[in-house]
Amino acid sequence: MPIASRQPAQVVREYGPFGDAGAVHGVTHDGQRVWAATGEHLVAFDPASGTTARTLDVACDAGTAFDGTHLYQIAEARIDKIDPSTGRVLATIPAPGGGNDSGLTWAEGSLWVGQYRDRKIHQIDPATGAIRRTIESDRFVTGVTWVDGELWHGTWEGDESTLRHIDPASGAVLQQLDLPQGMGVSGLESDGAGLFYAGGGSSGKVRAVRRPGAPRA
Amino acid sequence: MDSLITAAARALAAGDPLGALKRVALRDDPPALALRGIAMAQLGELARARDLLRQAGRAFGAHEARARARCAVAEAEVALALRDLGGQGQALLAAADTLQAHGDAINALQARLVAARRLILLGRLAQASAALAAVQAAGMPAQLPAPLAAVAALTAAELALRTLHIDAADAALQRAAEAAGHAGVPALVAEVAHARTLLQQPAARRLGPGTEHLLQLRDVAALRAAGDTLVVDACRHGVQAGGAWHPLARRPVLFALVRALAQAWPGDADRDTLIADVFRTRHPDETHRARLRVEMGRLRALMAPLAGVEATARGFVLRPQGGRGVAVLAPPVDGAQGALLALLSDGAAWSTSALALALGDSQRTVQRALAELEAGGQVRAIGQARARRWLAAPLVGFTTILLLPTAQPIP
Repeated sequence: MPIASRQPAQVVREYGPFGDAGAVHGVTHDGQRVWAATGEHLVAFDPASGTTARTLDVACDAGTAFDGTHLYQIAEARIDKIDPSTGRVLATIPAPGGGNDSGLTWAEGSLWVGQYRDRKIHQIDPATGAIRRTIESDRFVTGVTWVDGELWHGTWEGDESTLRHIDPASGAVLQQLDLPQGMGVSGLESDGAGLFYAGGGSSGKVRAVRRPGAPRA
Repeated sequence: MDSLITAAARALAAGDPLGALKRVALRDDPPALALRGIAMAQLGELARARDLLRQAGRAFGAHEARARARCAVAEAEVALALRDLGGQGQALLAAADTLQAHGDAINALQARLVAARRLILLGRLAQASAALAAVQAAGMPAQLPAPLAAVAALTAAELALRTLHIDAADAALQRAAEAAGHAGVPALVAEVAHARTLLQQPAARRLGPGTEHLLQLRDVAALRAAGDTLVVDACRHGVQAGGAWHPLARRPVLFALVRALAQAWPGDADRDTLIADVFRTRHPDETHRARLRVEMGRLRALMAPLAGVEATARGFVLRPQGGRGVAVLAPPVDGAQGALLALLSDGAAWSTSALALALGDSQRTVQRALAELEAGGQVRAIGQARARRWLAAPLVGFTTILLLPTAQPIP
């Protein structure tokens, strides 16, 4: 598949590692704070200062999403809907990949779930978990996010990681940002403006990456 | 990494291999195979574990070099636990280089440690020390996981003990004890404690005229290092003076002679007693006396740098050079088994025939004693049939895969 535009990723800032957690599995942004899934704790930090604002004790093994009110979190083979103020799990739906799931984001009334080694993105009904449609990729899919009507996802195969902007209809790659060798991407969320927050896998870090073509934040 | 793999890895890291298996038992993708392999290894199903890890290594794509290398290291470690020492040395070092190149210093170190311990198990101590020195030269990663640090220190201690560098062994055991304490793994703490007791146990008897007393390993090393004593070592079958070691394991008659002379020192040893001891006959005749003269001539030539052998009216006497004293070290327990253990304590691999030659016993006697020792876990064999070699039981019985599930490894 030809890639229309390709450039190195500009890493603006690094956050973490957070506490004793060894890895970051998912990332989301609630408008003010960035949430990072670290396995046993969801950690919210302030992107300006980098200080940890909140910690929720919930299982979080992969992608994280925020729909404006609630957090969605993949844990084992399910997706939990979590009240961010209390950390309580309000509802649970089965994950479409049955545990092969990596990234998660919320957009336009649907949840979008990345399937890591299956190289797919599913659009599912957030209430029932029913699959609405599926987009194929040619790389292992990690984090997924929507920003300004653009669908972006992270890839991580071996030592190579990229952020890709793809056409949600055809799956064609419109833009690609290459991260430095050995820097993994394990979760992705945009802040709705000029930055992406990308989970750094077993480095335990979250990295802010500049979004090309976006107004400077 | 996907969510179930993360959850399973977390269960493994928390010491719950069954929980990990529950999550990935039905999956056949490579990361799941690798996790299943590690969980199986922790449950003691080593053969199955090796199978799964091999499958995982093959199933990872060509571009997932790091994951493949991690599988290779885990597989080698399981093979080590299975005591299957067949050729994986090169593959292991290649995996270590791959991991190092990909910035995975801890797993690279793990690979090199497995390689060094494999060489120890094969009795190739010189190569093992070189491998371990390379590990230390490469520098320890700052955040070395405590169990790995403990095993590294134990490995260094075993090498130092085998070569009688007691201070180095003591220091390494001290480091191992600290690291094992940090790791909080009871089995590892027990292993280090056991290794430390070896330093306190009697390692040899010093025989004097009409007396004997027990020596610890430290005293043995000190005695051998001291320049003022000619040490006739009936544990390792050789003679040491002032830092020079003359092995006599392949010259059993000469060793028996020098031992008899040393035990008589400062007096002389009677000809007939020598003949009775060394040639094992109670009816000496002229041929035995002639043979004694010949053997004494050989011994004199061999010992010339260390000591003179002079004839007296009654027999022969040992005259060490430089006014040295003479000490005889014997195994702490008498009998074939004690002698075998003392010989094997140098960590090298011995054939049955070499052991029989050194001890002056028949191969059959040696085999019988070895079989009993093997049943008791005090010695072990590698190779089959004529290639079979015997070694002392390893100090470090341990496999780190049982400790390092955090094998976060496999993304």
